[in-house]
Amino acid sequence: MNRVSLMCIGALAPAMLLVWLLPASTAAQDPAPAESKQAANTWTPSRTPWGDPDLQGVWRYEATMPLERPRNLAGKALLTDEEVAQREAVERDQEAKRLAGEEGTAVGRQSVAESPIRGNEYNSFWQDHGRPRKVYNRTSLIVEPPDGRLPFTPDAQKAEARSAARYGVGPYESYLDPDTGERCLTDGVTALMWQGPNGGHNRIVQSPGYVTILHEEYRDRRIIPVDGRPHGSIRQWFGDAVARWDGNTLVVDTLNFADKTNYEWASVWTRPSETLHMVERFTRSDADTIEYEITVEDPTTFTKPWKAVIPITKLPDKTEIYEYACHEGNYAMANLLSGARAEREGR
Amino acid sequence: MALRPAPSRTGPPGVGRATPTELPAAPVRALGAVGGVPAGRGVVEGDEIPYQPWAAARKKENVDDWLTRDPEIKCYLPGIPRATYMPYPFQILQSTNTILIAYEFAGATRTIHMEDAGSSPSDTWMGWSRGHWEGDTLVVDVTSFNDQTWFDRAGNFHSDALHVIERYTPVSPYHLMYEATIEDPKVFTRPWKISLPLYRRFEKDAAVLEYKCVEFVEELLYGQVGIRDPGADQTHK
Repeated sequence: MNRVSLMCIGALAPAMLLVWLLPASTAAQDPAPAESKQAANTWTPSRTPWGDPDLQGVWRYEATMPLERPRNLAGKALLTDEEVAQREAVERDQEAKRLAGEEGTAVGRQSVAESPIRGNEYNSFWQDHGRPRKVYNRTSLIVEPPDGRLPFTPDAQKAEARSAARYGVGPYESYLDPDTGERCLTDGVTALMWQGPNGGHNRIVQSPGYVTILHEEYRDRRIIPVDGRPHGSIRQWFGDAVARWDGNTLVVDTLNFADKTNYEWASVWTRPSETLHMVERFTRSDADTIEYEITVEDPTTFTKPWKAVIPITKLPDKTEIYEYACHEGNYAMANLLSGARAEREGR
Repeated sequence: MALRPAPSRTGPPGVGRATPTELPAAPVRALGAVGGVPAGRGVVEGDEIPYQPWAAARKKENVDDWLTRDPEIKCYLPGIPRATYMPYPFQILQSTNTILIAYEFAGATRTIHMEDAGSSPSDTWMGWSRGHWEGDTLVVDVTSFNDQTWFDRAGNFHSDALHVIERYTPVSPYHLMYEATIEDPKVFTRPWKISLPLYRRFEKDAAVLEYKCVEFVEELLYGQVGIRDPGADQTHK
């Protein structure tokens, strides 16, 4: 376990600031009721001075729905009102425990099952939960396929099992052994808008012809042209994104990803390959919510496309994105490799 | 035509053979012309950076130890004003209350706050930027730096007391004049100033692309198989 903590420090130290800053400004707000989503499409967004729907602000995923439907809820897409009320009580209880300084399992939150990205199961000190999460009645973010599960190919399933077995365990002989997050590269573009409590904030800034999304963790950035240009031909980690407006909805189409499947990924479903095609729809459904819909098609990793519908919450106006100097402070990498060597030499 | 292997050389240098001279470091020579840093006239007004004596000595050490010390070589966030005149493009994304400058190098992005955004909660690599307009000029006051970034590949440096005031003035559809006043009472004897024109990229579909330079420096930092004693000194000289 010591090695796990060493790894965490390099990647997470910059996120500490948020642990300090956010709860004070946001804790007073009550979680929204489960029905809030029903207000979609009756609310008209304000517009930028040049006439585009205004999506600007700092946003974060703050709900309880996991990416995949838990196995014990197979066949059950929706919770009853009673079950929603129970979960809301659990959220309030966990919030109280966190504010009282309790840690990890004492808080009562399960880890990986409730966290879309492996690695978000760190203890509370490292995490920015901010305020009690919103409870929706859906049991998974994934809405297609209808079982709410990632449709991995057999090979990808094996890769995912391998990743799970290696995570925090190694071996660590080379800088290529830790995952892309531990190397301060990225945790993958498909999860950017709704990564959990570790630097999961996104600032959307619009300027004429562009929508730019700054993701705090790893300072991931997408500069997305909305000016009618066609796709370029350069393959990149985050692909080549172009966008258009469909009514009040921003539609982003991303192709031409670089093949990074040979790197280690904390979660295999976030890795890019050359066959990845991602379509995202951003619709502001009320003043504080973007309904974010992502459709992922990639025959290298999945047997069929999958789609998730994700409510993303606007944070108060003064909320900041802070500098994430991960590589610059990646003492974890040297310590991890030194530790592995010492272990091998039997010291 | 194949080059014959060089014979071993004997005898005192400077008599029948070339006099020893100070060469660039071996890893730089291995890169050929790509590893060289060509001359430039400089952008410092008055040509002289007013270092305090200790700092002038440190600057010279930085030159001698460039390969192990220059944060650019390690793919670290480049700081301000260096990010402005590195050989990589940047894009200005201008919204109403916020102006972003998105640099290609290391994926660095600066948020320039045009409304009161308070002060930075800690020191940073890229600084904490507050902007306002003076006529057509965007004036950016940048504070809260750490002492890790440099001004250039020639070892010019600063401390965590650095304060930069930048001025961006449009002078044609394709040019901005850029000025930066640099104050750092721990390192310099007085404030000093740089000025240079910035040239707009106006080719079709000009874009800032990804440059995840971490991938290119891991071997340098962590060794070929990734195992290197962090205390071991590398000798490039």
